[in-house]
Amino acid sequence: MKKTVFLAFLVAVLAAMPLSGLLAYDGGAVSDGGSVSGVVKFKGAAPAPKKLEITKDKEVCAKSGKTDPSLIVSGGNLVNAVVSITDIKKGKKMEPQKVKLDQNGCEYKPHVLAMAAGSSVDILNPDGILHNVHSYSKANSPFNMAQPKFKKTITVKVDKPEVINLKCDVHGWMNAWLFVAANPYFSVTDNSGSFKLTDVPAGTYNVEVWHETLGKTSQKVTVKAKADSKVTFEMGK
Amino acid sequence: MAVRGFDEKEEKKSYGSVFLLGSSLLVALTLWSFWDDNITRRPWKKIQTEFYRLDYRKARAAYDEEDKKLKADSSYQELVKKLSAEQASLKSGELGKKLKTLHAEEVRANVRFTELDQEVKFVKSELEEAWYEHDHAVQQGRNAKPYQDAIRELEKEKAKLDPELEKGRQKREQLREEIKKLGAGIKELETELAKMTAERDKWLRVMENASTTLKVQDLKLFSLYKIPSIRQVVLDEFDRNRFDEPVARVDRCQTCHLAINRPGFENEPQPFRTHSRREVLLADSAHPPGKFGCTACHDGQGPAVNSVAQAHGEVHYWEFPLLRGAKAQSSCVSCHLDVQRLQDAPLLAQGQRIFEQVGCTGCHLVKGYEDIPKVGPSLRRVSAKVDPSWMVRWIENPHNYRPHTRMPNFSLKEDEAVAIAAFLWSASKEEGEKWLAGHPQPAGLRDGDKEQAARGKNLAESLGCRGCHGFADGEASTVLGKEKEIIPNLKNIAAKIGPRWTYYWLKNPRDFSPATRMPSLRLSDQETAAITAYLMTLGAKAETIAGLEERLNDAKNAQRGAALVRKYGCFGCHDIPGMEKESRIGVELTTFGTKTLEELFFGNRTDIRHTWDDWTFNKLKTPRIYATERVEQVMPQFNLAEEDIKALRVVLAGFRETKVPHRYKADQSQKVAQVAEGRRLMHQYNCIGCHEIENRGGFIRKYFGENPSMAPPPLNGEGEKVQSQWLFGFLKEPIPVRPWFSVRMPTFGFSDQEANLLIGFFNGLSKVEIPYAYFDDRKVPKEHLDAARVLFSKDFFNCLSCHQQGERKPEGPPEGWAPDLNLARSRLSSNWVIKWLQDPQKVQPGTKMPSFYPGGPDNVLGGKDDKQIEALRDYIMMLGRRGSGAEGGRTASR
Repeated sequence: MKKTVFLAFLVAVLAAMPLSGLLAYDGGAVSDGGSVSGVVKFKGAAPAPKKLEITKDKEVCAKSGKTDPSLIVSGGNLVNAVVSITDIKKGKKMEPQKVKLDQNGCEYKPHVLAMAAGSSVDILNPDGILHNVHSYSKANSPFNMAQPKFKKTITVKVDKPEVINLKCDVHGWMNAWLFVAANPYFSVTDNSGSFKLTDVPAGTYNVEVWHETLGKTSQKVTVKAKADSKVTFEMGK
Repeated sequence: MAVRGFDEKEEKKSYGSVFLLGSSLLVALTLWSFWDDNITRRPWKKIQTEFYRLDYRKARAAYDEEDKKLKADSSYQELVKKLSAEQASLKSGELGKKLKTLHAEEVRANVRFTELDQEVKFVKSELEEAWYEHDHAVQQGRNAKPYQDAIRELEKEKAKLDPELEKGRQKREQLREEIKKLGAGIKELETELAKMTAERDKWLRVMENASTTLKVQDLKLFSLYKIPSIRQVVLDEFDRNRFDEPVARVDRCQTCHLAINRPGFENEPQPFRTHSRREVLLADSAHPPGKFGCTACHDGQGPAVNSVAQAHGEVHYWEFPLLRGAKAQSSCVSCHLDVQRLQDAPLLAQGQRIFEQVGCTGCHLVKGYEDIPKVGPSLRRVSAKVDPSWMVRWIENPHNYRPHTRMPNFSLKEDEAVAIAAFLWSASKEEGEKWLAGHPQPAGLRDGDKEQAARGKNLAESLGCRGCHGFADGEASTVLGKEKEIIPNLKNIAAKIGPRWTYYWLKNPRDFSPATRMPSLRLSDQETAAITAYLMTLGAKAETIAGLEERLNDAKNAQRGAALVRKYGCFGCHDIPGMEKESRIGVELTTFGTKTLEELFFGNRTDIRHTWDDWTFNKLKTPRIYATERVEQVMPQFNLAEEDIKALRVVLAGFRETKVPHRYKADQSQKVAQVAEGRRLMHQYNCIGCHEIENRGGFIRKYFGENPSMAPPPLNGEGEKVQSQWLFGFLKEPIPVRPWFSVRMPTFGFSDQEANLLIGFFNGLSKVEIPYAYFDDRKVPKEHLDAARVLFSKDFFNCLSCHQQGERKPEGPPEGWAPDLNLARSRLSSNWVIKWLQDPQKVQPGTKMPSFYPGGPDNVLGGKDDKQIEALRDYIMMLGRRGSGAEGGRTASR
């Protein structure tokens, strides 16, 4: 009961903000759309995975070994980069999603989570210990909520497009990113470093890659109806 | 024969043309004087008419707009239709007929009631009379019986009439009620309609206000714009005449500035524009123009309305010309004790900070600024401190060595600088040598030990030295004005001082100079040696001036130096042996703002406009600009940025000896005075170098980019947060509240008075009414403690996951730790703990403390958040009880 009151409060707070980001994009049905797919390559030698030192709540947090997720390269390709179209004004319908962010074992999974503006995130705590979720956001109002054992789920709504860093102050190593997009064309590179954007109306677009440590890079990509445009990005330090 | 004195020709002469000319001249003159008096000399009439036209036009446009909106609104249309149907029916339809009969009946009922009423009144009067007669008879001893009978008779009659009268009244009331009911529907519709049209009809009133309508009864003959009239505010006893008697000030500015306190004229040209920040500045709680007028802040010639230049006082010999824009800020000080808090006077606040801290008061006396301590270091033992060659160069021009130093350039010749140095050397020789004798070369220092210097660098960077000092070009913490550094940049400090002095200075600055503001960081011997070693790597030792020693020891030079020190007033900023009794060498500035042009000396300058503003600006920019061959000027060059000069000018303009009556003044209470005085002290010790206070400062935070939680805490709202007695102890002898910090709260050696002043400052800022509050353990209910223990536990909020409690340290690296909860009892205000638990982010945005509420567990204290928060507070406040947390902390202090 209490939880719903709390969530209603949160939703009300977030909903009170103007949805300027959403208004800029006009969504509808897309027929004969094309797609953009490809990989994000990492320039240079792949760094060795850095082991994270677990300094606290070891009985829960140290059950599995953890590596630093801020730069993961797999087969020369970059994992956890977000590919998105930045200048599209009209395209497929933008539907707010309900996504999950798990803190199982004192680690945010997934480490990078992309969603359309207006989506809500369920933050889960199955660990049975205290976590806190501290957001470093500007466009969306920042929050820092405790999530004790009895609070299994916290739901937050993100209304404005921006990249939000989430941290847990209790466990200093815990770190996650919410990529809140202004349109429905975004994709997080998977474990092989590849991505795909579908149902893109024909046209030329600015496609951008964002990565937490490497920053941003972009390319102009022309999409043809019912065809796939292959793109390769390259990022390095 | 001609009669004497009779000239026929003269008699026959006609003066018609002369009379005609004379009378037409008279008519013309009369007309002219009428014209001149009413038109030429009253330009405000035209302005007012223009304004009313503008006002009317704007209101009309707004009205039309609203009207259009209403007409497009179907619910409005419906309402209007309903109302008119109802009205029509009432006038001539069914309702009308009913109403007519009711009215007729009501008239009849009223007549009946009035008649009865009359009758009752007569009976009452007769009764009075009968009683009189009866009493009279009793008093005279006559027989009262017949009167008693009469009374009984009359009372009977009255008893019969009373119910009839009541019936009559009820009948009348009932009829009236029915009539009212018939009209109620209409009334309701009308109120509903009025609500809808309120926005539109508002403009109707504005239009009415801007015009005058001539009416014969209800018939409008014609409308014209309002007839202009003088609008004046009289500020009783606001001014003083030449005999220091209070006199009224008359302020007619609003005769032309008619929209100054009305919204909607923000983009109109003057004089019709709305005042900027009107809602705040002209609010009833601030400066309502009906009470303060305009001249109270803006000056000008209040009563003048005969021309714009006259009204604005921008004419010859009017001493208070209009203060436009930011210059109006100079008036704030007449009524506000603490101008630093005024949001709308940033230039004044900035100027005041510069005035207080750059050293102006060393030479110039100003009432209210008498007690500002000397801004420069004491030179009592300077011979034991600095390199003599450096000293000569410094005196010659300090800006060469440190471009942003506060010390001004006196433009001295080399031999003058040597003379002053020689004097200072001889004056400080005895004290200096005595000090040196007691402070031998420190043993721990190893010349050229790179490792030691590196350790020192590390310490200087981590202990918090950078809260005040810069160590490289462009590095600065608190900057005064645009670029003045109130604390030396140490980038080439090795040119100035040697290792021996530096070591003892760092160890305990007050040992060398008891009045210094440099605090002790409670350094160990090794730490001191390391930092000394590091400082000695910054810059190179000063190049020795050949033959200097001899010149410094020359008594003639020292004598000349003493004269120069007196001439330039060096003792205004420095404590100089033998010059303790010297007084300020500059002119007093208490009334500088009211100086007239005749009192300002422009020398032979013809290129500078003769205004107070220009004189002052140029004086501050080039202090000796008005010097002539005959008149020497000694004010030194401060190298102030132009914006700083402008800020200072606002402060100087505010130096007027006004005696504004109390009712016009802002809060002048002791509390406000204490805040202002405490802030001055806070600036003096540069607390804002490390801490953010009043949302300003915390400049050291920029060095903690990755780990803001390791930086000194912000102190916004500190008065509300901590207990006064704790703060007193902490200021006197700091204890590590956050022992994991590498940065150290220094020991400033505050006097009791200073510590109290700082507490008063923090309490005043937080509006703490009752500084001492007692937390009574015995009043804490047991269920609170039981509940709090549960909430505190690992399974719930797990407070000790981050918070230290006494000797029990949290897991994980220290960056993640939070203050010792055992300290709460002696340190925190119990009301603040509640606020903090309710919403930590609100109290301190960005804090790592997460919000646990709303959303406490359902199974504790009935799931009531308020109760849980209270229980936690009670528990936390009792934690330090047995373990004496405060003492534990104190022993841990270095």
